[in-house]
This record gives sequence, C-alpha cells and structure tokens, in this order.
Amino acid sequence: MPPQAQQFLDTLNSTIPLEAYLIVGAIMFAIGAWGALIRRNAVVVFMCIELMINAVNLSLVAFADYLPNAGGAGVGYAVLVIAVAAAEVAVGLAIALAVYRTRKTVNVDEINLMKG
Amino acid sequence: MIVAFVFLASMTLTCALGVVLSRNVVHSALFMSGSFLAIAGFFVMLNAPALAAFQVLIYVGAVTVVILFGIMFTQRPQVRRFRTIINRQTWSGLVATLGIGAFLAYVLSIQDWAGTSPGNGPREVTRLGEILLGVNGAPPIFGLLFEVISVLLLVAVIAAIVVSRRKTGEGIDRGVEE
Repeated sequence: MPPQAQQFLDTLNSTIPLEAYLIVGAIMFAIGAWGALIRRNAVVVFMCIELMINAVNLSLVAFADYLPNAGGAGVGYAVLVIAVAAAEVAVGLAIALAVYRTRKTVNVDEINLMKG
Repeated sequence: MIVAFVFLASMTLTCALGVVLSRNVVHSALFMSGSFLAIAGFFVMLNAPALAAFQVLIYVGAVTVVILFGIMFTQRPQVRRFRTIINRQTWSGLVATLGIGAFLAYVLSIQDWAGTSPGNGPREVTRLGEILLGVNGAPPIFGLLFEVISVLLLVAVIAAIVVSRRKTGEGIDRGVEE
C-alpha cells in the first residue's frame, strides 16, 4: 500500500476533536433560533424550539464523553432535558389547540390578544 | 469516524434548514424527525447508545407523532407562496441569528480543548442508571432532579388535558371574533 493511501486511511480513522461536535450544535441552535424568529405558524415555532433543545443535548453529551472529570453527568442531564422537552411539547400543543379553537388560527402575528 | 461524522452533520444541518424553509408544515415535521435521527447517530458515536435509543423512541417516535396530530388539528389548506409563511422580520431575524451563531462559535473556539479525548462517557446502561439516581459517585442532586421531573411529567399530562378539553357551549358553533 503506498504511503499516501495509508496516510489517507489514518486521517479517516483519526478521532474527531470536541470542537466539531460543539460547532455542529452551535450551528443547529442558530438555525432553530432563526426559524423560531421568522416563521408565522405556531406549530413550526414549536419544531424550531425542539431543534434548539436537541442542539443543546448534543453539546451536553459531547462534553460528557470528552471531558475526563465530567463523570458522564451530561448524559443524565440530557435525559432530564428530554423529559422536560416532552412535557413542553405536550402543553404547548394543547395551548395551540385551545387557541385554534377560539381564534381559528395559529398564526403568531395575529394572536396578539395581550396587546389589548 | 470522519465519514460517519460528515454524513451525520450534513444530515442534521440539512434537515434543520428544511424545517425552517419548507412551505408545507408536514414536510417541516418530517424534516424535524430526520434531524432527530441524525442526532441519535451522534449519540451512538459519543458512547451513549442508551440515550440514542431514548432519542429514537421519544423524539423520532412520540414527539413527531404528537406534532403531526397538532398539525392535523390546527392547519387550514396550505399556502402556495413562500412569502406568506414568514413574517416581516426575516432579515433582522437572520442578523440576530448570525450574531448568536458567531458568539457561540467564538466562545467555543477561544477555549483550549486540546487535553480532551473521547471515551469518558457512561457506556453501560447500569452506569447511566446510577447517574440518574445520584448514587455511586454521581452528583447526588440527580436524585432530587429525578423526582422533580417525575412530578413535572404528571403535571404536564394533567395540564395538557385541562387546557385542550372542549367545554360545553364553546368550539365548533362559535365563530371567530373580530
């Protein structure tokens, strides 16, 4: 096997630095924040919030796997975050359903009742 | 490792962009489940296979189905043009988002992560269970958090029933106000 091919295989098998996971999580968080800011549909806003929660989960698990003194606590926090997100999506969709029943829309631009 | 990482990262970010930019709400939900599936792949790479199973069961299964039910109950016939799904804050929102992304990338890159190496995670499910209960060297606060989460889930279930319950005299036969 020529040395260049061996070097290429070594590059492919090398371990991934921690920054790579963190950057992917940061970009995913930014995309979710963008969607939560610009979309009009309340259900899509919920989806974007779920994207942001998952990005934070990815960072937590990456820290738990890479930092030697973490003791794997990040995975426990990730389980708790998943439970909180499940509760949030249940209550949030119930609120969206109640709003749709009274206002016949889930457009967040038109639901401005608190403005008076 | 690199090949799997690049594949999962591109799948995650492409599906996340699909959630934000697709016109059809059902397509957004399916893109979201694809993104969650790629995150589960990342969890397998990060030595947390039990958490990957949780992710597939809860997010790709339950949350996606609940959101599809929400779409089924709340959507009118779909819009055709792209301009109508986004509000007026497109460019200011993009600027704010780029600010968030640049700030996060800066904070994460000024730190020196050279001394870290993978493989410290709780690969065994028994270790994950000990961490969740706060025993055997895990932070003891996890025991309290576990109980609080249990109560929170119960409260959320009851709240979802109470909020979305149809009261008598309200609902179908009542028109839109204004």
